[in-house]
Amino acid sequence: MTEQLRELEARALAGVASAATPEEVEAIRVDVLGRKGRLAAISREMGKVPPEERGLIGKLLNQAKTSIEAAIAGREDAFEQEKLARRLDAEWLDLTLPPPGVRPGSLHPLTRIQREIEDLFVSLGFTVLDGPEVESEYNNFDALNIPPDHPARDMQDTFWLENGMLLRTHTSPVQVRGMQTLPLPLRMIAPGRVFRNEEVDASHEHTFYQLEGMMVDREVSVAHLIYFMKTLLAGIFKRDVTVRLRPGYFPFVEPGFELDIQCLICGGSGCPVCKQSGWVELLPCGLVHPNVLRLGGIDPGEWSGFAFGLGLTRLVMMRYGIDDIRQLQGGDLRFLRQF
Amino acid sequence: MKFSYNWLCELAGVRALDAAAMGRLITVHTAECEGVEPWGAHFAEVRAARVVSVEPMAGHHRKAVIDTGSGTRTVVCGAPNCREGIVSAWVPPGTALGSRHIETADVGGVTSEGMLASGAELGISRDHAGIVEIEAAPGEPIPGCRPDSIIEIDNKSLTHRPDLWGHHGMAREVAALAGGQLQEPADTGRIPSGAPLVRVRIEDYALCPRYSALVFENVTVGPSPLWLQARLESLGLNPINNIVDVTNYVMAELAQPMHAFDAAKLAGGTIFVRPARDGETCAALNGETYTLNPSNLVIADGSGAVAIAGVIGGMESSITGATTRIVLESANFHAAGIRKTSSRLKLRTDASMRFEKSQDPANTVRALARAIALLEQVSPGIRLAGGLADDARPAAEPIVLELPLEWLGRKLGATVEPERVRAILEALRFEVSSIGEGVLRVTVPSWRATKDITIKDDLVEEVGRMIGYSSITPTPPRVATAPPRVNERRGFHHAVRQAVAAQGFNEVYNYSFVSEQEMARFGRNPGDHLAVTNPIAAGQGHLRISLLPGLHRNIVENAKHAVSFRLFEIGYEIHKGAEVRETPHMAAAIYAKDSGEQSLFELKRLALGLMPGSETSPCEARAHEHPARVAEVRWKGSVVGRLFELHPRLVEAGRAAVLDLDLAVVESLREETRKYKPVRRFPASEFDLSVVADARDLSATIEARIREHGGSHLENIEFLRVFTGPPLPEGCKSLSYRLTMAASGHTLSGPELTGIREKLLEGLRAAGYELRA
Repeated sequence: MTEQLRELEARALAGVASAATPEEVEAIRVDVLGRKGRLAAISREMGKVPPEERGLIGKLLNQAKTSIEAAIAGREDAFEQEKLARRLDAEWLDLTLPPPGVRPGSLHPLTRIQREIEDLFVSLGFTVLDGPEVESEYNNFDALNIPPDHPARDMQDTFWLENGMLLRTHTSPVQVRGMQTLPLPLRMIAPGRVFRNEEVDASHEHTFYQLEGMMVDREVSVAHLIYFMKTLLAGIFKRDVTVRLRPGYFPFVEPGFELDIQCLICGGSGCPVCKQSGWVELLPCGLVHPNVLRLGGIDPGEWSGFAFGLGLTRLVMMRYGIDDIRQLQGGDLRFLRQF
Repeated sequence: MKFSYNWLCELAGVRALDAAAMGRLITVHTAECEGVEPWGAHFAEVRAARVVSVEPMAGHHRKAVIDTGSGTRTVVCGAPNCREGIVSAWVPPGTALGSRHIETADVGGVTSEGMLASGAELGISRDHAGIVEIEAAPGEPIPGCRPDSIIEIDNKSLTHRPDLWGHHGMAREVAALAGGQLQEPADTGRIPSGAPLVRVRIEDYALCPRYSALVFENVTVGPSPLWLQARLESLGLNPINNIVDVTNYVMAELAQPMHAFDAAKLAGGTIFVRPARDGETCAALNGETYTLNPSNLVIADGSGAVAIAGVIGGMESSITGATTRIVLESANFHAAGIRKTSSRLKLRTDASMRFEKSQDPANTVRALARAIALLEQVSPGIRLAGGLADDARPAAEPIVLELPLEWLGRKLGATVEPERVRAILEALRFEVSSIGEGVLRVTVPSWRATKDITIKDDLVEEVGRMIGYSSITPTPPRVATAPPRVNERRGFHHAVRQAVAAQGFNEVYNYSFVSEQEMARFGRNPGDHLAVTNPIAAGQGHLRISLLPGLHRNIVENAKHAVSFRLFEIGYEIHKGAEVRETPHMAAAIYAKDSGEQSLFELKRLALGLMPGSETSPCEARAHEHPARVAEVRWKGSVVGRLFELHPRLVEAGRAAVLDLDLAVVESLREETRKYKPVRRFPASEFDLSVVADARDLSATIEARIREHGGSHLENIEFLRVFTGPPLPEGCKSLSYRLTMAASGHTLSGPELTGIREKLLEGLRAAGYELRA
């Protein structure tokens, strides 16, 4: 009987191990461990076993049952694992495929530059102001110390409107609004769209973007202006720049300057970008003319300031190497999708 | 404005400063130099040569043997005036003549060693008719012609400097910068005394502060000597005849425009300076006849206008070969008046450009003195007749400014020694004296006093630019630390841009102009728009009152090479009225070649993202809108924009859905009003409901009915689907919703739910809807 038990156990274990399907394992379980199975049959014959052997046989019987049960559980688990592995494998995905749905959109390069520069100025304590695109002649010219029939008006070809107003030729009129509304001392910028009555070609536009900046405080000097411009330009170009001021005439500042930066392409040794001069004209600036302060309701005896204008369109073209200004307002997706 | 380097060197008494260095010096300290170009480099090679003999050749060419001073040469010449005995200009082989390279060449079997040149070929006149004839010994350089450089200065940077519109003014700057001894070309001692032979009557001194004139007789009119032609030509001025050339030369030298009249053609002995009569005409030197009005000032004789003051002379009284007696005008005119006339007549001349800048009245007589000396050179035998005619209002008092040195230092942010300040100002011919501790008394010279320098701040610029701004040490400003005022509107627009771009839209910037064709397409008239009085082109004559025409153009253009895309713009509509209103709008469009439904709902999703809880309600379609696919967008009870499909008439292939929002209204409603409600603690129950309705009944209406009859426990209505077709009758649809019911204090019981449901169904049936199981 011992022999019979050992043999049964060995056969069952071998059968479980070699079973190819869960059904085969189940058949073995029923055949060996079932209520009418072989182990049950053996245990029913325990009565015929001499009492002195019963203990040993009983023990062997239990051992056989436990080991077969464990083998079956193990095998079933293995089948489960395999099944899961097969399912997961069948769920393979090509993640190099593009996602369904729309492509990401884009912000216009002018938006990008404006936001970047606005953030820079806000970090320097400047307020961002807006002004209207349709301006009065007074704000655009007179309040900026450019009286009627002043030849400086020729410097800015103007679009005039039927109601006697005009399309602002620069963002400088927002200076006037800033002086009237902000408390002193003041620091402000005004980015925006401006208009000049000019023929359009690859480098000229009748509609472009500028940024006007102004700081008014108790004591503002040329030395402060130069320092500030260097700081600002280092922020914009993300590197130190060498600047040079030379005389420039703008009626709303005195003294007035053209600020040049040392050419970032050649470093000042001369190249086609800087027309071999080593310098690139970047922005007009100056100390605010006392007349402008006065017209803005500020006492020039008590306060002084500097102002500057930054060509955002030009900056965008420099930043991205755009060689045709017409692209910016052309609405062509093949251009827009590059940003 | 072009400057001759040679001339500046002569006037500034400067040597040892090359042209490029002079250009840089002017750029950094005075005005922007746009370039320095060599002029007449060939004059280093070209020599005088005498024609020894001439032999005819085939055609109109001739073979000439010439004495070059260093041996004889043979040249082939086609000029009709090439004849034995004349001295002309020989261009030796190997010389560059502009873009031409002159070499030894075979011409019709004759070896031509270089060429004899005309004035035009040498670049010193416009004479193509024959070779130049000069007085010089063979081998000598061409008299009055030597290599020069032309320094081009940006006119804009001279806007405020009337004095820099002549070489002498620029030479004053150069002398001050380079330490030269400025030369004075005019000798006012030459002005004759005695009674003038012409009278001058100025009607309004405000328009003409001064009019000076001299009469000359025994005048010979002819070509100017080569040196004079060469100088004018090098500056881009057209040589005409000796008399006119002198007036232009003085203008180029002293910035004083002049005009010469043929005295025989002037009626009466008086020159009137007066406003034009209405409709008065003047036939000008350029061949045009101008019709004038009283806003234009004229120079008139007894019979009418003979010149448009400060702009252009008249043809009738111009200098001709027959002229023997001239009246030479040197006047000063009101800058704004000249500018107005010049822009009204669309006629900008060398004279008007200068007068616009507010010329110095003190300069008129000085220019006449200079002209006397020059006319004697170019018109031998010329004689002054009578004394100076000079009508002027009293000269303006000199401008005297007090310059506190400590204040100057604070403005510059740099200390400049008092002696240095004084030296700088004196080099620029300001008169400087010291008054008290640290204050200078500065008298402004007349040529800087017309407009340029009026306040002490103007002197900051004089000192600053002369010491050079690069000598000022950058200093950090000391400013109050305060958070800047936040621009909410701008921040909002940027946030919208970011959100819309994140949904796959590409941002465009369109122009603010709209064409009549575009507005017509959108059902608008020109009268609705603010008109530009001087548009740059047809089609840009009005300001946009909608972003849609621009966006429509983008759609049509891009549809040519893209199958589907999304675009948006944030920009201002400009509305006319007593007050112009600029309204920020956001217009977004989806273009696709499909049935168009999905695009509209994508845009609705965009609207819901920007404005949670916003609604779309039916409305009357406009001309450009698909009549059955349009809705008003409402948020918190206000109309904020429109959602529609563009009328298929406007889009050839494919469909374009548009969302147009008034960002000003959206921003005003943006204030956060939501309040937290405690999260419910008891479970909710759901049941589905299908409502049969007419095909065009609105889902929003049905939802409103459900809400009306759903009782206070109705928490949420979720739309599931719409169904049409059998077994539903034609013209009907079924809308299915899942309703969520919950109470805040307990779990709803079965009977409670049944009650709610019964009440709801009853209400809907009463409202005329059928319900589907």
